[in-house]
Amino acid sequence: MAAPHEDWGWATEYEDVSGAVAVCGVGESDHSKASGRTANQVVAQAVERALDDAGLAPADIDGLMYVPFGYQFDAAAFHEHFGTSHDIWESKAGGGMRWAASAPYEAALALRDKRATHILNSFGVAWATERSQMVGGPGESHAQELFKQNLEVPFGWFPQPVYFATVARRHMHEFGTTEDQLGAVAVACRRHANLTPGAVMHDRPLTLEQYRQSRLIVAPFRREDCCLISDGGGAYIMTTPERARDLGPPVVEVAGVGLGNSVTGTHWAEQPAFTSTPQVFAAPVAFQMAGLTPADVDVYTCYDPFTIHTVMQIEDSGFCEKGGGGEFVAGDALQFDVGRLPTNTHGGLLSHAYVLGIAHVVEVVRQLRGEAAAQVRDARVGIYGGYTGPQAATLILRRP
Amino acid sequence: MRPDFPLPDTTWEPTAEFWAGAARHELRIPFCARCGRGCWYPRERCRSCGGAEFEWRTMSGRGTLFSWVVVTHAFLPHFGDLVPFVPALIALDEDPAVRLATRVVDTDPDQLAFDLPMEVTFRPITFAGVDGSVTAPLFTPA
Repeated sequence: MAAPHEDWGWATEYEDVSGAVAVCGVGESDHSKASGRTANQVVAQAVERALDDAGLAPADIDGLMYVPFGYQFDAAAFHEHFGTSHDIWESKAGGGMRWAASAPYEAALALRDKRATHILNSFGVAWATERSQMVGGPGESHAQELFKQNLEVPFGWFPQPVYFATVARRHMHEFGTTEDQLGAVAVACRRHANLTPGAVMHDRPLTLEQYRQSRLIVAPFRREDCCLISDGGGAYIMTTPERARDLGPPVVEVAGVGLGNSVTGTHWAEQPAFTSTPQVFAAPVAFQMAGLTPADVDVYTCYDPFTIHTVMQIEDSGFCEKGGGGEFVAGDALQFDVGRLPTNTHGGLLSHAYVLGIAHVVEVVRQLRGEAAAQVRDARVGIYGGYTGPQAATLILRRP
Repeated sequence: MRPDFPLPDTTWEPTAEFWAGAARHELRIPFCARCGRGCWYPRERCRSCGGAEFEWRTMSGRGTLFSWVVVTHAFLPHFGDLVPFVPALIALDEDPAVRLATRVVDTDPDQLAFDLPMEVTFRPITFAGVDGSVTAPLFTPA
């Protein structure tokens, strides 16, 4: 599978960390629409639950990873919440989006260098609450960016639903992708959310016919092609596989990780491969490190702000040829029990919660432990495809 | 945020010539002096060859429709009076790798098609609740 334009990005050079780091604890906050909670409260709840899951005390956490922008559950916030005061190694190479996939790489290096023994990565947002007060939200950083302010926003080519509806229409033109194929992505996510007690859309079924009838907000996107806006977050704790075997939960280890970059950043009008994601650069690195191929994957999750992102990342990660994604996802192909590639089995950003991918990693870990709500039978290899737009990362986890 | 957001800041250096050209009803785009390719968005270096010298050229204003959407939900309160509207990307004839983000006007969206020939029309753009207007390159089918 060759990228149609190889001049638009690159893979970050990664050392082999296969088998060098394990996820030993996972937790999620309550996920909701506008709740009046702060991001701090959201993240702290997720962190407490991850500690309980791992059977660790706050004082055992000597490494913290968090997002390089916005709200950060850093050492000061950690100590204030838990009343602790020990030394903590910190890294801003964590959080959600693509970082939720690549944080284990940075953690593996920190564990190897003995900078920490139990490293917690966390992320949370209160964007639903903030949006209800007309501040913040996913469009804000884009509105602040000067090329966008001067070359995109004045024409109404803004924000993310508009960019990616433009990408989706082009994908339809280049490859014959259909609205029903995008609908199949939304329907699969909703079915999984209906089975997942913590999902925001748990009680809201969606059929393909209902999808077809749902409101167009930026054609070709309907409301159901777009992710939620949520209050919520998640956390996961990493350590060496040796240490993880001494803790309670079944061991889930990192098999491979890769990071891909686009030269055109968040300016998608400039991106030569308009209908691709930087997973074309990330996924081959991760699969090679893992010694695995897409055919070995039992459960797939990917950052899915819009239905088209699932289609594109399935293509770009090598599950099918470029352009074959629409056909690949059609019907029930992504559903956890009968699908050829069970995908976003908790409901994804579309129907679980828009917590920017951190809950996707939690879901993969639960799947590989056999603890998921929509459990894939005997899942041994799982992926989180993380995405920010300018970057994408592939994290391959396995049950050893 | 600037009080005139979402109007462009026509004084911001990297795109000042683009907006100054639009005020004169000229579509101005920088081209690399070394490799001759269109360089959009304006950067310090040419993405194709790394060249650092650019020549702003006046385009014919013709291109083809690369992709488009129909916005029926106002994502900013300022867009309220515009809805429904049709943001689009136009591949310019002089270098189709240059895709201009713009808005298609005076056209039933059902009449749009991929690679449809398009041409520029310069119009003042205004936004609800914002003083002033700026002349901008919008497009119609040619």
